[in-house]
Amino acid sequence: MTARTIAGEFGSDGMIRVEASGKEGHLASESTRDGRNSKSVALSAFAGEVSTEQAKTPLISIKDLTVGFPSYGKTTKRAVNGVSLDIPRGEVVGLVGESGSGKSTLARAMMGMVPPPGIVEGGIVSLDGLDLSTLNEKQMRAIRGRDLSMMVPNPRSELNPLLTVGRQISNVAHEHLGISRKQAEAKAMEMLRSVRISDAERRFNAYPHELSGGMAQRVIIAIALICSPRFIISDDATSGLDVTVQAQVLELMSTLVRDRGASMLFITRDIGIAAHFCNRVAVMYAGEIVEIADTQSFFERPAHPYSVMLLSAFLHNPALRAKWTKKADDLSGAAPLSGGCPFRFRCVRARERCAVEHPKLSRFRPRHDVRCHFPVGTPS
Amino acid sequence: MTFIRYILRRLLYVAPQLFGIILISFMMVKLIPGDPVVMMLGPVASQESIEALRESMGFNKTLLQQFAIYFGNVLHGDFGTSWQTTRPVVEDLVVRFPATLELVTLGLLLAMLIGVPFGVLAARHKSGPIRRFTDYYGLVAGAIPDFWLALVFVYVFYTIFHIVPTPLGRVDMSLLTPPVVTGSYIIDSILIGDFEVLGSTLGHLVLPVLTLGLINAGPILKVTQSTMERVLTSDFIQYAELSGLSPRTVLRQAVRNSLPSIVTIISVLYGFLIGGAVLVEIVFSWGGAGQYAVQGVLNNDINPVLGFVVFSAVLCLFIYLVVDLICFTIDPRMRA
Repeated sequence: MTARTIAGEFGSDGMIRVEASGKEGHLASESTRDGRNSKSVALSAFAGEVSTEQAKTPLISIKDLTVGFPSYGKTTKRAVNGVSLDIPRGEVVGLVGESGSGKSTLARAMMGMVPPPGIVEGGIVSLDGLDLSTLNEKQMRAIRGRDLSMMVPNPRSELNPLLTVGRQISNVAHEHLGISRKQAEAKAMEMLRSVRISDAERRFNAYPHELSGGMAQRVIIAIALICSPRFIISDDATSGLDVTVQAQVLELMSTLVRDRGASMLFITRDIGIAAHFCNRVAVMYAGEIVEIADTQSFFERPAHPYSVMLLSAFLHNPALRAKWTKKADDLSGAAPLSGGCPFRFRCVRARERCAVEHPKLSRFRPRHDVRCHFPVGTPS
Repeated sequence: MTFIRYILRRLLYVAPQLFGIILISFMMVKLIPGDPVVMMLGPVASQESIEALRESMGFNKTLLQQFAIYFGNVLHGDFGTSWQTTRPVVEDLVVRFPATLELVTLGLLLAMLIGVPFGVLAARHKSGPIRRFTDYYGLVAGAIPDFWLALVFVYVFYTIFHIVPTPLGRVDMSLLTPPVVTGSYIIDSILIGDFEVLGSTLGHLVLPVLTLGLINAGPILKVTQSTMERVLTSDFIQYAELSGLSPRTVLRQAVRNSLPSIVTIISVLYGFLIGGAVLVEIVFSWGGAGQYAVQGVLNNDINPVLGFVVFSAVLCLFIYLVVDLICFTIDPRMRA
């Protein structure tokens, strides 16, 4: 019955969804399924070591995080608006959403480095129960790159053009691990090999401009992973790569993350990648998480109209896209921060209630929350 | 090796560049109105003597012919004679050019020592007393004429406090100038171990160097600041911070990435000041190359002007080569 409703919601024919998810599913069934198996194995092995109390605290816990960008003469723009998110050990959470939805700002805020003039207005980010806001800059710096590291997009511009890649990787190890420069270089070399850079000895002394995009991205991965961090944020780190290289890099990333028992927040604009790669998917819109669910549940029954819109855009099906996409009269002027659902101007399901009452994130199904008064699949 | 190939390729361009520079400056100097012969012989000279001198100096030939003769002489190292000093231009410049170089080099060194650190500081402080100071400094240094500052310094430190030697020339007049080896009095006096001359030279250098240093620190500060600001907000510096590198490491990287721009502005100032320090030279009766060239222009004394232009051009080409080599070492992308 439910499947029918969604199919009805989704498109005129249920085939679209089946076909699309089937296409996705093939790749996924190979990589994700056994990927998830070994992930859960790794997780349980990890859980065996830690005390029960530790196991209960999520590795990363975000509570009501709000980041504002003051704009003169106007109200403060909230790039991140009361986001709460718990990520347990060994879990990969995908964070999807369009440009400007606050994904990257959330990531930077977690690292304690909100790009100016933004300020964290409230909320707590804790790593393994440790409230990061209580740390001073020096303590925070010790955590950055070591326990909490970040992979960034555009590796070409994120690497210093004047330093060899070996230097840039070993710098991080030298800084955080208290090892000599020589040891750090040896470790960097080892890291270059483990991110499967061919001819590592030669690449070690190469400069970023001498590397291809894929190679440079591997260097970024090496930098992010050299200190074996407990938590990794990948901020759209593969979007600049072409599809085959992207697949290789993703595969590599997931293996490395899994092998190290780390957790990950995987920010992407490509919802398909999230399907392959993540245990859970969170969708962000206008600074809020509008839907968060186990990957399977999310792709089976996307509940927020925005999620469905994202999916329909991804499926390249004009009819489906037309059904779920609405052109707002003026998107930039719309979407006030208080009162009502910020998505209502673009929502095909918007009702009067949406204009007055801001929806709360509420349980839709087990392990599946949505922030919508009229989730897809419910009568509206 | 790429390095040597690069230098050779650069040197290949020097000859045509010099030819172009000499051609253009020759023609432009010739365009200056006024007749050098009249200037040389004075207002009471007879028409015949004027014609005769004109003939003997080759001024009746076409411009191109004159240029060909001049260029041929230059190739033999003959830059002609200055009718004002009645000495060969080369002999004059050999003394005067090092005087200017010594002054300008030390001035720029001081400017660098002030401008670069303050530029870096300014880039790191978006507000506060340091930023206010550097903002004002950049503005004031850009607004104050160097000769005015020089005069104020002379008034304060010489006229009132008497703590600097008489601002006339490069060394005390009662002392013998050291034999010309490099032309720099500092180096030459050290070479012969004459510390009296060295002391006097340094004393005479204080005010003009201070003037040039303080004024030219302005542009260096501004360029350093803007470059550093750009680098500090660049993706790779942000990523270095995201990786938890210490502020010292990050700053060192940022300064290193700013160096090419800083070196470039210093080189531009260097080339500019060879002639541009002339007003300061005049205030301190420095007897430098800039003063020599300006006298030449004012008195229709063509040869010193052209000699100065060629000497400065060679020096500039040399400086730019050095700058390129420095950038070459700093930035691996240039080696590609």
